Amino acid sequence: MRFFWSRRRMDADAAEELRAHLELLTERYIDGGMSPEEARAAATRQLGNVTRVREDIHEMNGFRLIDNLARDVRFAMRQAASNRVFALVVVITMALGIGANTAILSVAYSVLIKPLPYAEPDEIYAAEIIVPERRAQFPSLPATVQVFLAWQRAQTVFASITALTPWEASLTGDGEPERVGGASVAANFFSFLGAPIERGRAFLEEEGRPGKDRVVVISHSLWQRRYASDEAIVGRTVSINGEPFQVIGVAAPSLIVPTRTQLHPVIPFAARVDVWKPIAPTPATLNNESWDHGVLVRLRDPRQQSQGEQQMTALLIELARAQMPGVKTEASVHLVPVRDLYAAKVRRPLLLVVAAAMLLLAAACASIANVFLSRGASRSSEIAMRIALGASRGRIASQLFVETMLLAACGGAVGTVLAFYGTALLVTAAPPDVQVLSAASLNLPFLFSALAVTLMTGVLCGVVPVLQGGRRDPVTALKDAARTTPYRMGRARQTLVGIEMALATLLLASGALLLHSFVNVLNTDRGYDVDGILTVDLSLFGDRYKSPQARGVFYSELIGRVRAQPGVMAAGGINNLPAVSASDGPSRAILLPEDTDFAAVVLVRPVAMIRTVTTGYFAASGSQLRAGRTFGDSESGLVAVVSESLAARLWPGDSAINVVGRRIRQGGNLSIPLIEVIGVVGDAQPGGLDRDPVAALYRPYQQFPSGPMTLIVRTSQDPAVLAGSIKAEIRRMDPDLPITAMRTMRDVVSSTVAQRRFQMLLVSLFATVALLLGVVGVYGVTNYAVVCRTKEIGVRLALGATRRDVMRWAVAVGMWPVSVGLAAGLVGAALIANLFRATLFGVTPLDPLSFGGVAIVLLAAASLACYLPARRAGTVDPVLALRHE
Amino acid sequence: MAKGEAAKTDLLQGTLDLMVLQTLDTMGAMHGYGIARRIEQISDAMLKLNEGTVYTSLMRLLQSGWITASWGISENNRRARFYAITRSGRRQLAAEADKWDRLAGIIARLRSGEK
Repeated sequence: MRFFWSRRRMDADAAEELRAHLELLTERYIDGGMSPEEARAAATRQLGNVTRVREDIHEMNGFRLIDNLARDVRFAMRQAASNRVFALVVVITMALGIGANTAILSVAYSVLIKPLPYAEPDEIYAAEIIVPERRAQFPSLPATVQVFLAWQRAQTVFASITALTPWEASLTGDGEPERVGGASVAANFFSFLGAPIERGRAFLEEEGRPGKDRVVVISHSLWQRRYASDEAIVGRTVSINGEPFQVIGVAAPSLIVPTRTQLHPVIPFAARVDVWKPIAPTPATLNNESWDHGVLVRLRDPRQQSQGEQQMTALLIELARAQMPGVKTEASVHLVPVRDLYAAKVRRPLLLVVAAAMLLLAAACASIANVFLSRGASRSSEIAMRIALGASRGRIASQLFVETMLLAACGGAVGTVLAFYGTALLVTAAPPDVQVLSAASLNLPFLFSALAVTLMTGVLCGVVPVLQGGRRDPVTALKDAARTTPYRMGRARQTLVGIEMALATLLLASGALLLHSFVNVLNTDRGYDVDGILTVDLSLFGDRYKSPQARGVFYSELIGRVRAQPGVMAAGGINNLPAVSASDGPSRAILLPEDTDFAAVVLVRPVAMIRTVTTGYFAASGSQLRAGRTFGDSESGLVAVVSESLAARLWPGDSAINVVGRRIRQGGNLSIPLIEVIGVVGDAQPGGLDRDPVAALYRPYQQFPSGPMTLIVRTSQDPAVLAGSIKAEIRRMDPDLPITAMRTMRDVVSSTVAQRRFQMLLVSLFATVALLLGVVGVYGVTNYAVVCRTKEIGVRLALGATRRDVMRWAVAVGMWPVSVGLAAGLVGAALIANLFRATLFGVTPLDPLSFGGVAIVLLAAASLACYLPARRAGTVDPVLALRHE
Repeated sequence: MAKGEAAKTDLLQGTLDLMVLQTLDTMGAMHGYGIARRIEQISDAMLKLNEGTVYTSLMRLLQSGWITASWGISENNRRARFYAITRSGRRQLAAEADKWDRLAGIIARLRSGEK
């Protein structure tokens, strides 16, 4: 092997030597008296097989393995080129199986398993307060600022404790006015999480006191986007909500904080949080009884969890007794791991998608096994021929192996690319509440295991059966091959098709159940109209809108101008859109006039979301008035409209008409005059229908003003068309006012069902691919049977079978595994559907529409796949078929 | 493929290699044709050789480093490749010849006992 690299020259040398040798020998024989012809013949005989010598020398100088491998690869490439359909099916199947599986698993890993980017994330827990009397309405509650302060002051179990609460920040002064999501956090927030600050510093302890708290930390993306990555940002003063704040730090891009309702269902953060300011409780904020502070604790030792819960419970009850001596409650505190904040809501839907991706990989493997088996069967005569010609079993095995590996390498390469882009696509397309995803990247161990599984399937089904077939006596094999294409592996392939069909059924049925649920969710009456409505989120701040009167004037002026726009049928405003979240904004306990002891009844009476509306809101939103009337332009007394569910809680058993005219108390302050109920409206459901409607008390804007408002504009035309003219109208009134968002109500609702849609789309996509694979399998099996048995069909036809009989036989070959697979798949789907019952909406796990639809689609597709080869079987000419030999 | 046949070739190969080495040791540098003639002459034309196999043998010895090769001009003015035994080639020859002699001795004794 020393001369591997110079073996071309070596060969030339040997050729020259052998030629010279031949000439010398010839000359010698001529000298000995032979004729030149005789001499040449004798010399050639004496020299022997020159080509063999050169070959030997060539091989001696080569790496046999490499040579053979190179030959096998070239052969495999020719094979793939000559049988493009086969190669393409294998590559695409593998790529889809690997790509989908790896992408989904990578995402699932980062959401469910990958450690959160905090210091010792397993030590962090979130506190939830459970008040038994409130459980029906609120399964759990976060803390008030006083509760947090009490815990912070007196707790001894935890290493540290921190809190955060939503804060809306309107940025002005640097370009376009802009509204971004923010949070007020305890001064130790960043050090508590162990979250790095990229530049500048985190908050100091003293910045958690009033007067020192005009400082903010901003997010990396806000710094890049709004401040153009200004190096001198730290120390700069920016205007937020009309007040000066000093930027003291920029958080690292890796920071993940709870968004939307991840921290707790009743404290909604923005979809992105870009600004943090310290919590600095003033006497005014301390009076605020809002349960809107999320509290995080760090346990020194996970075994201390119950000890921590007990201490927090004791401190909570102590505080409640001090504030309201009469209150008796069994309130308790529960600690949940911080991972659950991000993963709990998405765990089930995500696991369902993971299961679907696994089923798809299994279907891909069955499909690969099937095509390889069919290929092996059709090549058995070729292999027999080669064994008869003296090829060693090892050589044939290695060649088949190389062929399989070449296809696998192509499939794996395409699959890797798919997995890479699939992961990226999932991260961007995922619903925003799956925020941990932004850190998701292609997970190599999952990629390699998917590659390994498909590869092993290929090798097992592409090499082993062929070799076993080759073990037969080559003479018999060749005789067989000469006569007909032997029908082999038929049973194994039928089984595989059955498995493919079962998997496809499972996926299709799951997809159908999810689709049916999704359609139900979209079509459910939410208590307001979804189409033909534009929503505009606005927030008034700064000196100009300091007084409620100024804000009221602004809104009524604006609504008046909007109503004057062509195409506008109605317009109104509400502080918190029920579609976005069931429990945004202020809430109060609602008392009856006879309730004089607040402490005695506070836990018995319902808590209602207080929704502030302008006149015209109910008409614009399409709310249904059950009884009474809605607000007029000016109301003389204190009035309210209640939602049906609030009325039912306050006056169980009374009809809506009887409720009108009754009086209620908003909150526990007995000095506030009673409010008269003037109307009852239908409940407004949250867009995603994922929670029960929350009891709501509607107050007219003049009597209960609020800062932020969402404008509701009902139009006869496409609502998106109105956006431009309304924006212009707002700009005309105040060029500095940030418009947080302008969306159609359809978009608002659509975004609340994003997770459901995402899940439904992925499962349906996988189901479609699995169905395609299955149909290809059915076609392959039927077609193969028909081709192999052309002669038999000819005999049958000659003996009197009708074409119909023959076609029936061919269809049966394909449909038999299909029906078994379908039955097995439907049973499996029923079992799985029971597991994800919670994900379904308005559909029973045995939904006849979904299951029936799946059966029909599957049978139709499979019948078509059987019919094509069956028709060919029916047109066999018996004379030709019998002469075919 | 019969196994016995392969074994026979192996034996022949080894024997031929030994003959070629011995020839080069005795005669000095030679080309392939000369080696073939020398073996023919020594064996009194008893050994009918496929003379091409001499070159296979020479390549084997080259690979083992027991001989070297260089192009030169032959006695009758042709370009020819001359092979010469190396120092390690001589060591190998001594070892092989020794083994061969002992084997020949054993066989001779066995045959004489048989009589």
